[in-house]
Amino acid sequence: MNKVCTNWKAHFPTEKVGLEYYEEFAGRAQNVSAEVFRVKNPIEAQEIMANLIKFTNASKIVAVDGPLQDAANITEHIKSLGVEIYTEQNDIAEHAESSDIGISAAEFGIAETGSVVTDAMDIAGRLVSMLSTIHVVFMQSANVVAGIEQAFEIISEVYHRGYISFITGPSRTADIERVLTIGCHGPSRLVIIAVDEESGGGVN
Amino acid sequence: MEQNNRNIRKEIDEKLNDEVLRGALARFAEAYPIARAKAYENVEDVDALRDSVREMKQATVDNIEKVADDFEAAVVQRGGKFFRAQDGQAVNNYLIDLCQEKGVKKIVKSKSMASEEIHLNQVLEDAGLQVKETDLGEWIISLAHQKPSHMVMPAIHLNKEQIASYFSDELEQDIEPDIAFMVQAARKALRNEFLEADMGISGANFGIAENGAIGLVENEGNARLTTTAPRIHVVIIGYEKLIPTIKDAVPILRTLPRNATGQLLTSYMSMISGPTPILVKQDGKWVEQEKEVYVILLDNGRLEIAKDEKFKQIYQCVRCASCLNVCPIYTLVGGHVYGHIYSGGIGALLTAFFSGMDDFDKINQLCIGCRKCTEICPGKIPIPDLITELRARKVAEKGLPFAARSIFAVMSNRKLFHALLRAGSIGQKPLQDGALIRHLPLFLAGLTKDRSLPAVANKPFRDMVHRVTKEITKPTKRVAFFSGCSIDFVYPETGESVYKVLQDLDIEVVFPLDQSCCGKPIIGVGDYETTRKIAKKNIEAFEAVNPEYIITACPTCTETWHETYVELFKDDQVWKPRAEKLAHITREFSSFVAEEYQKAGRLMITSGGKKVTLHDSCHTKRGLGIYKEPRQLLAATPGYELVEMKDSDKCCGMAGAFGVLNNALSMPILKQKVSNIKESGAEVVAVTCSSCRMQIKGGLDKQAPHIEAKHLADILAENIKD
Repeated sequence: MNKVCTNWKAHFPTEKVGLEYYEEFAGRAQNVSAEVFRVKNPIEAQEIMANLIKFTNASKIVAVDGPLQDAANITEHIKSLGVEIYTEQNDIAEHAESSDIGISAAEFGIAETGSVVTDAMDIAGRLVSMLSTIHVVFMQSANVVAGIEQAFEIISEVYHRGYISFITGPSRTADIERVLTIGCHGPSRLVIIAVDEESGGGVN
Repeated sequence: MEQNNRNIRKEIDEKLNDEVLRGALARFAEAYPIARAKAYENVEDVDALRDSVREMKQATVDNIEKVADDFEAAVVQRGGKFFRAQDGQAVNNYLIDLCQEKGVKKIVKSKSMASEEIHLNQVLEDAGLQVKETDLGEWIISLAHQKPSHMVMPAIHLNKEQIASYFSDELEQDIEPDIAFMVQAARKALRNEFLEADMGISGANFGIAENGAIGLVENEGNARLTTTAPRIHVVIIGYEKLIPTIKDAVPILRTLPRNATGQLLTSYMSMISGPTPILVKQDGKWVEQEKEVYVILLDNGRLEIAKDEKFKQIYQCVRCASCLNVCPIYTLVGGHVYGHIYSGGIGALLTAFFSGMDDFDKINQLCIGCRKCTEICPGKIPIPDLITELRARKVAEKGLPFAARSIFAVMSNRKLFHALLRAGSIGQKPLQDGALIRHLPLFLAGLTKDRSLPAVANKPFRDMVHRVTKEITKPTKRVAFFSGCSIDFVYPETGESVYKVLQDLDIEVVFPLDQSCCGKPIIGVGDYETTRKIAKKNIEAFEAVNPEYIITACPTCTETWHETYVELFKDDQVWKPRAEKLAHITREFSSFVAEEYQKAGRLMITSGGKKVTLHDSCHTKRGLGIYKEPRQLLAATPGYELVEMKDSDKCCGMAGAFGVLNNALSMPILKQKVSNIKESGAEVVAVTCSSCRMQIKGGLDKQAPHIEAKHLADILAENIKD
């Protein structure tokens, strides 16, 4: 998988990244209409996915790999529910546009803004985060920084080239009569699954 | 340069009568400050954050060629193509050639004001290319064949019914004016455009020299799609968006969304450095390739700005458009009257440089000079001062109109000027030149057609000085009073009140009779030479009496003494120190008296009495930073009880003679002010500026004759026995 950095975690300043920022992060993410679920271990994510699929009648899912998704065994679990799921790059390119849910992961969160920071160099990862109706993003609940400033301390260490996206809630617009409307060109729902148990970083 | 035959007054009248526009802007003006304040709740020191934007941008512009070279090198090193475009023509030619070479037929665009500045869409369409704007607001505007009326909310002037009719035409079906449904219809219609496009064109909110990345701040997700789906990505970025390092994005990202839309951060913030992977379908199979990236760095007047000592401050702009959101004029008439792509105060400046002085000429009157914008600008750009400077530059270049030259010649000769004032023979003839009247003391503006102006007093204050001067046996201080034209010749009774209040503090007050107009009206139209002459006379007159302080009861005169005189003589070794010395001892009346009352133990809060509310004059609050002191004084005045009104620091609409010249714009602003005063329940409104007093009194006479408008000095003097 193409990445801006293959090991973001190695660049986290330990005193500035931690669970102590999680509550603020989750609260602010919810303030901008993100749905946030905190789980103890990756396996608990299966139930969240199952419910999401059930309540949205999702029939097609695209997903990229990552340590958290793997630890949750999420692909196999979705298959066991009888839902179409695509994880190969070519299949994602073909199906992302018509998919109901896209699954990827974030490197860390920002408490100040309720944002998740994604290494978006990989084209498949980017497609699943922008074309599906619902974007599910996995992250470690302990990987949160206080603010944009701390986020950029990390980014400036690792960012030589590539694509990085901060995602803060679902796609939105207020271009008609300044009425806030969710789900413009991107996903209309952003579901964050924050996992407590360590699974070796965000994506790799 | 375009609309040279614009009838700006007619355009303004049309906008003032556009109910949809007026309603939308009024609701927005109401909601915006609240949303912004809330967004900054979790920023510890907003002012320090704004300073960090300003300092970072200032350091960048001082080094702009180097930063641009580094940015170019970083882009090229990563495999991007780089093109420096001197003007719009260069961009347009480059892109048409590129599209031909690469077989491009369909283009999607995410928001780029720079591309609108150079009319790119029209040029590409004329060349047979299909161009789709994908930002919802920009798409709506393109369907309506209009220009954006706001830099962040391009379609704020349209309502859902109007938009539904544009959608119905474009999508060839009946679209109901249901906002959620329309957004979905746009999503559906544009989704295929992203996937089928050969080229995506984006702007950039910043460009990082360190690694060649551009940053895109957006809510809808169209910029991510534009920069992801098509095989070619073209970035159009102006020099003013460049920043040296990755970390320099921090102050921009912490202010831009908060100021623009009241968000802590937009839904998406993407940074793209160098070519990224792309999937292209070849013979039914998806193949991963590298995207082609072309970065176009646009000059079009920007480098000229960067080299200018004053105007380089424009580089501190992050394009949040918040200066529009708080502008009393923009929020009345919207963006279209500014005539070009960029609207509001910053728009007027950008238009001058990108489009030409002729276009600026039409709109430079639209700045009322209230400085609300400067107060919230993330980069702290003194927009009204820069607009004044631009007017001055024009005068320096083209000279003054005849009427102005003759009246300034009179004003630089105090004796003649005052003799004519006494005879009431200035101001009887309407002056036709708008730029001139704009800066004259109000009573010199003449009998303009919409309103009669206050008469020159029978007896100027200078003739009353001997009567009001008291012998102070053991003076605590010795001060000199600078009255300014308004108090001297229109409101002499306020001069008397100033004397009463100061003498009551056992302060000896002197009035140098050789003082004249401060010169502000003249420098306002850019006549530095005449202002210098007047300044020297005033400086000499006050040096001669050697006071401890110079007291003025006019915020504009105070500013002139504080800043303008020093600035005027900055290259003059003899006069500079003299101006500085007096600037240092010049004090505005209310803050000076509050300090003295404090020392004398007289700032005790009293209760009961007439309700009084304070109107914060723009120049007192934002020019001098004085707003607490007048309140302390009012709260301590027996017989009065201080109450607050809504938006007490919003301009009253007068601003020198603006209100006289631009009656149609001034009246709605005044009406709002009067209604806020009424709602406060006050029986008296206190002011610290004669110009505000006149305007507010005029409004109260019509709408609420039971409420009085008084200068603060007059209120304080009421409690002092003769």
